[in-house]
Amino acid sequence: MVTTHVPDTRAKLIRIFTFLGGIYFFLYFVLPESAVTALGMKAHHEQISNGFIVIGAMALGLGLYNIVRAHGSRVVFQRSGWFNSLALLVGLVAMIGATSAQWIENLGNTKDIRSVQVLGEFATRIIEDAKSPPTDRVVPPFAERVSALVRYGEGRVSLIESHTNASVEAGTNGASSVLVGEVRERTATVRAKLGEIKAMSWEQPSDDSLSRLTQFSQDAAKLASSYSIIKRSHDAHSASQKVYDFLFDGLFNQLGSAMFALLGVYIAAAAYRAFRIRTIESGLMMTAAVIVMLGQISFGKEIYEHMPSLRQWLLEVPNSAAFRAIRLGAGVAGLMLAIRMWLSIESKSFSSGRK
Amino acid sequence: MSGLEHITPGILVMLGIAGIFLYRELKRVQGGYHHFIRRIPGIDAVEGAVGRCAELGRPVVFTTALTDVGPVLYACLGVLHAVARKAAQYKLKLIVPQYSPEAMALVEDTVREAYRDVGRGSSFDPDGIKFLSGEQFAFASGYMGLMHREKAGAAFMFGAFAAEALVLAEAGQQVGARQVAASVSPEQVAFFICTCDYTLIGEELFGASAYVSREPVQVATLAAQDRLKLLFVGFIVVGVLLATLQAWYPGLAAWMPHTLLSADWSSLAW
Repeated sequence: MVTTHVPDTRAKLIRIFTFLGGIYFFLYFVLPESAVTALGMKAHHEQISNGFIVIGAMALGLGLYNIVRAHGSRVVFQRSGWFNSLALLVGLVAMIGATSAQWIENLGNTKDIRSVQVLGEFATRIIEDAKSPPTDRVVPPFAERVSALVRYGEGRVSLIESHTNASVEAGTNGASSVLVGEVRERTATVRAKLGEIKAMSWEQPSDDSLSRLTQFSQDAAKLASSYSIIKRSHDAHSASQKVYDFLFDGLFNQLGSAMFALLGVYIAAAAYRAFRIRTIESGLMMTAAVIVMLGQISFGKEIYEHMPSLRQWLLEVPNSAAFRAIRLGAGVAGLMLAIRMWLSIESKSFSSGRK
Repeated sequence: MSGLEHITPGILVMLGIAGIFLYRELKRVQGGYHHFIRRIPGIDAVEGAVGRCAELGRPVVFTTALTDVGPVLYACLGVLHAVARKAAQYKLKLIVPQYSPEAMALVEDTVREAYRDVGRGSSFDPDGIKFLSGEQFAFASGYMGLMHREKAGAAFMFGAFAAEALVLAEAGQQVGARQVAASVSPEQVAFFICTCDYTLIGEELFGASAYVSREPVQVATLAAQDRLKLLFVGFIVVGVLLATLQAWYPGLAAWMPHTLLSADWSSLAW
């Protein structure tokens, strides 16, 4: 191994970690699947790969830090173009704010939806435990659990009713009247079932009581499903979502598309420069381009019957050959550089050798 | 065999040969052997382009565009180091717009190192390493604005490029910058040839670093990759002959090297 400098501790550590990181993926790639499984690498591969993704995600913080440092200092010291930096920072804060508000709102709605889903699941759990009492945990008496279910259910139903009424009154819920009607109908059903359960005696589980609980569980699941749709629909029309949509879909994506559209103009400008026949090479390029363009359109076939075939041949034979040559060369060079990086056979400029 | 998740005997042999070539060339340069590297006009133009900036008093722009941390970035850093040295010597403003935050840290380190190498460490301006955006076209628009504002005298575009290649190169054209491009993306090479003064194609990007630095390790790698490539060319010729032979005698198919070397060995008992 060629070294041109005395490595310091930092460089040594980098080399060790680089080698260890590389050897894992090298072995995973080199060894047959049977060996990878036998060594236990297969079982932990996903976790290890996720670890690398987590390390990569840390770059997000680095990027944020760099932006704030570079552009923040420009604004603070009012260097040239500071207003551009200010616009960038305002955009950054606005986007972070809109995304965070949307996330927080979604979090609250998800919590509400989950709290309703739990109702049906709670009833199902009571039925299962009544049919085959668990041995690994202690459960409260049957009547006590049913009573807790009723109390919890009444609370959830009231919550759904108030949310649905508030959404309808606000007139901005985005949910159709059919959906609202469905939620109200299912809420009424669940409320009625809760009333029936409350009126019954639940000292001991019986076939009739378990059947009623099963029916209640199914109705509660249906209510949770309708409620989640109406809630998600409400999310899509919330203020935070609108701000996010405006910033991301309305501004960011549209500006990206506008930049992409510039390519059309630039291709024409670049083609004009490239196709001026000054040398034999540019003459050949021009000829090939004219054949490809004519072969692409129906008019080309009118000029010369075999124009599309000629175009196809140009693309599939000389063009593909050139592409493959470039890819082969770059691939071999990349492989050599990768081996060098893995084994840290680097020049002093990029490893240690700090002065 | 599922994709390339686990190696075939053929690829293992190739990796072994690559390793042997690299070791041999490293030993040779360690023993004082000097390899000849042919002239690459695009790299010779680097000095001229930087000199032009000194004459015009305009900044130098070097971008690695969409290149992420990996072999291609390391190849680009070699050239960036040389450009940064020249910029430091001529006391020029060097701007390196960035797309990848991970790459940015390495780029900053490389430029700082280059300034130190020529004894101008205090002249290094970290603001010259600008993070524009991690979004392709936002980066492209940032680059365009930067080129127009700064009126760059020379622009170096090295690394991996996609659809934004022409936007970047046209921005340089519009301000009259001397442009040198190098890309491993074959689809973008045509755009660079149309728009730039010099274009390095494919592996020339990897060779450029060795060419400008003449650093023994890089030169040895270049020599090793040339030998491996020569071997591949030999394989292609042999492959064509064997495929022709197989077309005449189909019974030979089972004994063909490609059948043996691409065998699925995942079923082996371990």
